[in-house]
Amino acid sequence: MTAASAPLIRARASRDDLIMRAGLALFALFLLVVVALPLWALLSKSFQDHNGNFVGLANYLRYVETPALFQSFWNSLFVAIVVTAIVVPLAFIYAYALTRSCMRFKAVFQGLALIPILAPSLLPAISLIYLFGNQGLLKGWLFGQPVYGATGIITAQVFYCFPHALMILVTALSMADQRLYESADALGASRLRKFLTVTLPGAKYGLISTSFVIFTLVITDFGIAKVVGGRFNVLATDIYKQVIGQQNFEMGAVVGVVLLVPALLSFAVDRIVARRQVAQLSARAVPFEPKPRQSRDLALTLFCAAIGLAILGVFAVSVWASFITFWPYNLTLTLKNYAFGNFDPLGWGVYWNSLKMAAASAILGTIAVFLGAYLVEKSKGFHVGRNFVHLLAMIPLAVPGLVLGLSYIFFFNMKGNPLGFLYGTMAILVVNTVAHFYTVSHLTAVTALKQLDAEFEAVSASLKVPVWRTFFRVTVPICLPAILDVAIYFFVNAMTTVSAVIFLYSSETKLASLAIVNMDESGFTAGAAGMATVIVVTSAAVKLAQLGLSRLLSRTQAWRKR
Amino acid sequence: MDVTGASPYLSIRRLTKRFGSFTALDDVSLDVFAREFVVFLGPSGCGKTTLLRAIAGLDIQTSGTIHQGGRDVSALPPAERDFGIVFQSYALFPNLTVFDNVGYGLVSRGQPRSQIQARVAELLALVGLPDSGAKYPSQLSGGQQQRVALARALAISPGLLLLDEPLSALDARVRTHLRQELKELQRKLGITTIMVTHDQEEALTLADRIVVMNHGVIDQVGTPTEVYRQPASPFVADFVGTMNFLQASVAEHGVVAIGGRQFWVESLNGMKPGTAATVCIRPEDVKTRNVEPGSENALEVEVKALEFLGSFARARLAPADGGDPEIVADFSINLLRDLKVEPGLKLPVALPPDRLRAFPKA
Repeated sequence: MTAASAPLIRARASRDDLIMRAGLALFALFLLVVVALPLWALLSKSFQDHNGNFVGLANYLRYVETPALFQSFWNSLFVAIVVTAIVVPLAFIYAYALTRSCMRFKAVFQGLALIPILAPSLLPAISLIYLFGNQGLLKGWLFGQPVYGATGIITAQVFYCFPHALMILVTALSMADQRLYESADALGASRLRKFLTVTLPGAKYGLISTSFVIFTLVITDFGIAKVVGGRFNVLATDIYKQVIGQQNFEMGAVVGVVLLVPALLSFAVDRIVARRQVAQLSARAVPFEPKPRQSRDLALTLFCAAIGLAILGVFAVSVWASFITFWPYNLTLTLKNYAFGNFDPLGWGVYWNSLKMAAASAILGTIAVFLGAYLVEKSKGFHVGRNFVHLLAMIPLAVPGLVLGLSYIFFFNMKGNPLGFLYGTMAILVVNTVAHFYTVSHLTAVTALKQLDAEFEAVSASLKVPVWRTFFRVTVPICLPAILDVAIYFFVNAMTTVSAVIFLYSSETKLASLAIVNMDESGFTAGAAGMATVIVVTSAAVKLAQLGLSRLLSRTQAWRKR
Repeated sequence: MDVTGASPYLSIRRLTKRFGSFTALDDVSLDVFAREFVVFLGPSGCGKTTLLRAIAGLDIQTSGTIHQGGRDVSALPPAERDFGIVFQSYALFPNLTVFDNVGYGLVSRGQPRSQIQARVAELLALVGLPDSGAKYPSQLSGGQQQRVALARALAISPGLLLLDEPLSALDARVRTHLRQELKELQRKLGITTIMVTHDQEEALTLADRIVVMNHGVIDQVGTPTEVYRQPASPFVADFVGTMNFLQASVAEHGVVAIGGRQFWVESLNGMKPGTAATVCIRPEDVKTRNVEPGSENALEVEVKALEFLGSFARARLAPADGGDPEIVADFSINLLRDLKVEPGLKLPVALPPDRLRAFPKA
């Protein structure tokens, strides 16, 4: 016998393997339909004329040659860079105070800073109008300059983006090895030198990643520019104007593709950075424990108090204004701004729509995300399929909501699309919201699944227990906290999102966040502030419920105690 | 264990496993007999775990066949094979009680609840944890978790028990204790067992037969005594126990030259005169008591250094008149006292011909 004659073995797939592969194939199809094909529809539309004929780059040429359109590109870039330059240092100091000092009331400061996440981006913009607009309380502070335009956009964006930057930087700064600081102390390094040689390098990737995330957030946000942009055009408002205002779908598609470029670039850079980042904290690292230092702790407390109060103030203004009879001339309190029927034909109906949509997105989205992540993580073999699904799941992060929404218009209105019946229904809003916020949820689920012992499935197979039984009996119970996280994430984002769904709602399925845009457009600013307040309260209640539930989980599940 | 004549329970033929361009297992063949305790021993990356996972069907081989109990299982998924497995991490389900963990494989067989309860109780008693059924894994010590994992694997009465470094996550004292228990349990149940380890002491104490692996091939299969006394290669000699490696050349039939000195060797493994060779002897095999100058393979040495190791001391010896070979030898504490051994002492030692093993120089 020669060495070559041993028989090659083709592994026989078990019933479990076959079930999981079929599941993966279904998932690939699902993500293709809700993400990839719509984007393809958008891309091809940008190369067509009104009648659907291929015209090559003609639309793009027209775009570059129309100064009114191309100017927005530079405007967007300018605003995004300025906001990033302001937000990142502020958030870094705030995060430093939360992680590296012995400042008191850390939980309060952290909570204050996260408020903006609970609201649509429109809210800080509405507050700015109440403060500095034509009837603004503090109008004089701007020396006659209008708040509408770059100033307003930048200011509102800083508030809106702050918590997003803070969350990444807190994570980056909380991973530190005490031993590095002790070594530096032993070598007689000064405080500045320790900061420059230990702290900053440790947070380097977090800083880069934050910068790109903020840049993308600003460039793709629609709500703020819509409310305080005035005549200062940016890419996000251009899409809206082209599509909704002028029904120029081809040009809308072109702007969408242009908007996709910075988002894709920043996404790619972030991926590269993440890959370069080696684990900073080995298993043997000693967690960093800050030591009290009065001068530093006091300075940081004052800093955080200033920022925290500013955030609270900006949000309080809208809430307060929503209860005011006639801003700023009659400051008596009233509930009339909450009679939404006076501003919108659906009245409180938009809020019930939002609740329905958010609940459906949370339930269906969480099931889809967790099943998908499980299939990607735990199925055996079939690497092509798993990598393909994982790649598809990463796309939504790089796609701005407006672009995704516009893509849905094109895809679901295509002649002969069997899914066309979804257009204009609540279902398409749910599908779109699930797709829009898919990536972060997917990554949360994957992270949770990676923490499980890799051999659970092998043990189950050796005990002849079918894979679905282990999934329900072991995997899901262990991952409940992550599942809850994902559901809340979907719910809060569904409540606050504007950008994607603004292209997809019908008169019956209008959402609360969209009603804010409409009311603001029609001059019912107080109603808009009221609706924004209702959304903030709802999101906050859901977040509090999550806190309670996770507490309950750790109390009722004895095995979680170590 | 006498295994001749019987037909093997597990028969592995020409197994090769490639990961891309890396060959993890290279044409491996092995027979395991019923009721036998076989240990795969080798350094990390030698292919021992790959072989175990191939037997389990967790990572199926590129080529080659596996028959278990007369059935060709080569391409079968794990669920269609007959084995129980204990992993290094134990992979206990943290959200299930010890009782539910052990009964996990029984429930899906549709047995009545009372029967499952009786079986789990029996298993928990077997592994010495009769009262821990209601606890969660995180409330148990590492050693107890290991026993639960073992009970869970045994619950379905598998024909083959696979153990992937089951003791390596435990501290030394618990490990020694569990080692004995594991051995007794295996004897009592008579279950065919394959264990993977990188710990030679574990292999020597537990195994009926040891399979020493290196670079994806089997270097030697033998009883612990065979592997220790008659290592088949310098790798085995080095990996199992401590060994002196002396550079030599074959002088004539039965004689090697080391550093200009001639030594008798019982077996030269067929090497011809003039061949470069490596001659091995274990430190404890160097004869240090009752050696007369001029007796067979005797050598006058000087003690260069002494390392105290508790019940014995390990000495570095060099020929008293300089030159090669330098040898490491063990002195019992008794001898140390009787001969007043300390650095600088000169004494005669001998390298017994039946203890010297010669290999062609690699």
